[in-house]
Amino acid sequence: MSVIVLESIYTAYEGGSEPVIKDLSLEVDRGEYVVIGGPNSAGKTTLLESINGLVKITHGRACVCGLDVRRRGFEVRRRVGYVIQNFYFDPFTPFTAEEVVMMGRFGRLGLLSRPKESDYDAVQRAIKTVGIEDLAQKTIGILSGGQQQKVMIAHNIAKEPDLFMLDEPFSNLDFQAREFLQDVFKGIVQQGVPILMVAHAFDGLPDIPIHLVVMNRGRVTGDLSCQAEEVEEIIRKECEVKERCSSG
Amino acid sequence: MLEWLIENNVVCHALEAMIFASVACSILGVIISRMSLSSIGFTMSHAAFAGAALGMFLGANAQMAAIAFSMGVAALIGPVSEKAKMAADATLSVLFSLSMAVAIFLISYMEYMGKGLSASSLLFGDVISLYREEIYALAAICCLSILFVLAFYKEISAIMFNMKIAESAGVRVKLVYYVLLFIIALSVALSLNIVGGLLIFVLLVTPASIAGQFCFNVKSMFIVAPLVALLVSAFGVWAGFEFTLPVAPLVALLLTGVFAISVMLSFKRRINTKIH
Repeated sequence: MSVIVLESIYTAYEGGSEPVIKDLSLEVDRGEYVVIGGPNSAGKTTLLESINGLVKITHGRACVCGLDVRRRGFEVRRRVGYVIQNFYFDPFTPFTAEEVVMMGRFGRLGLLSRPKESDYDAVQRAIKTVGIEDLAQKTIGILSGGQQQKVMIAHNIAKEPDLFMLDEPFSNLDFQAREFLQDVFKGIVQQGVPILMVAHAFDGLPDIPIHLVVMNRGRVTGDLSCQAEEVEEIIRKECEVKERCSSG
Repeated sequence: MLEWLIENNVVCHALEAMIFASVACSILGVIISRMSLSSIGFTMSHAAFAGAALGMFLGANAQMAAIAFSMGVAALIGPVSEKAKMAADATLSVLFSLSMAVAIFLISYMEYMGKGLSASSLLFGDVISLYREEIYALAAICCLSILFVLAFYKEISAIMFNMKIAESAGVRVKLVYYVLLFIIALSVALSLNIVGGLLIFVLLVTPASIAGQFCFNVKSMFIVAPLVALLVSAFGVWAGFEFTLPVAPLVALLLTGVFAISVMLSFKRRINTKIH
């Protein structure tokens, strides 16, 4: 059964001159590693936020984890992990890294219930998986951008999601950290949880089949399966072809 | 409630009122200051002021009208911010202007009609002439604030951390946020008679700011802020009656003094220059 089924969806922001996502269809199955590429303002982040219901879908059918996103966006978000692209935490943010990781569990816990032993275990597992044991008791605001990014990834791993979405997860990370986390993501995919990753840099992708989605101007211009080392070239070609078509 | 400790009824009522108001406001203040919603203090106090003016204009109970008007304004903040795609702080400023305009319009009109409106107790507060019912109402809102934080602690802390991340995690952000606005509105409207619209800001912002100078986590801020507010308020009431000074401004001055000292003593901002 597909985890994501999008059929001809449109997403528009208020005041926008045209929809950001246009007539987009996509299907993602369990255990798929999906890379979404394309030029700036192609609608990649909007696509992720349409999938978890943060941005309103105006037309079309969207079913995620068996739930209708347009009607049950809140329930979808409880089951979908999403590492956002831009965040800033001031140095005096009064939360430790461990507390932030625990917040990933809050949606699943629901109102009025307190974290149980199993939730604390999930948090410790996530911290260990991402390798941030030494940062757990530090306040998040004093961590470096890369360390904060790792905490946000652990926050979503602790959630134990049915679908994992990441928006530019490596933007602040060094080469070693990227390789380490790619192994972590590979492990998540092998457990059957699909990953959707928006990225601009494609070095160090795991050696597993990649479901590549190329986007341009709100539409999917390429939807194919390939190997990790082919990703960058395919995206480059797709973008060049579309650019030539639109300018010619 | 504290008659067993203080014989003088007036002092006893003043102490009880100050304690309940300061604890309720300082707990909510921790949330407000973290979410950059400090302007909610003056917006709500002016909404209550406009409501009281409307109540007097219509010949209704001023306090009840103040509460009703504040609740109405609180109900508008969330939906207006969402619809207009504005930051809550900008919406608060718009609603502040509306409240102020309503209040000034009604006061001017009543003066023109030959009816006076005594606004001094709403603006400056009056701890001496409080009714028992008002203290019970304050005790109730104080308990409600504590229960609200205890019941929704995890949602509140997630929202205080980052609203978008909380929403992505599946936290019911809107529900908790709207309930929070309502409780703030109610607390401010009920506290108006004690410290007045001009000083309510001190109770909302200063204890949380003092706690922020020393606390590294939110849990301790929720304990330190009301504790500081309680101790300073109690001392302010005692000193006010002992030396015949106006209690509410004295508490405001004391809290500001404690804030100044805490800024000087804060170890949280210390820069480690140790060379190993």
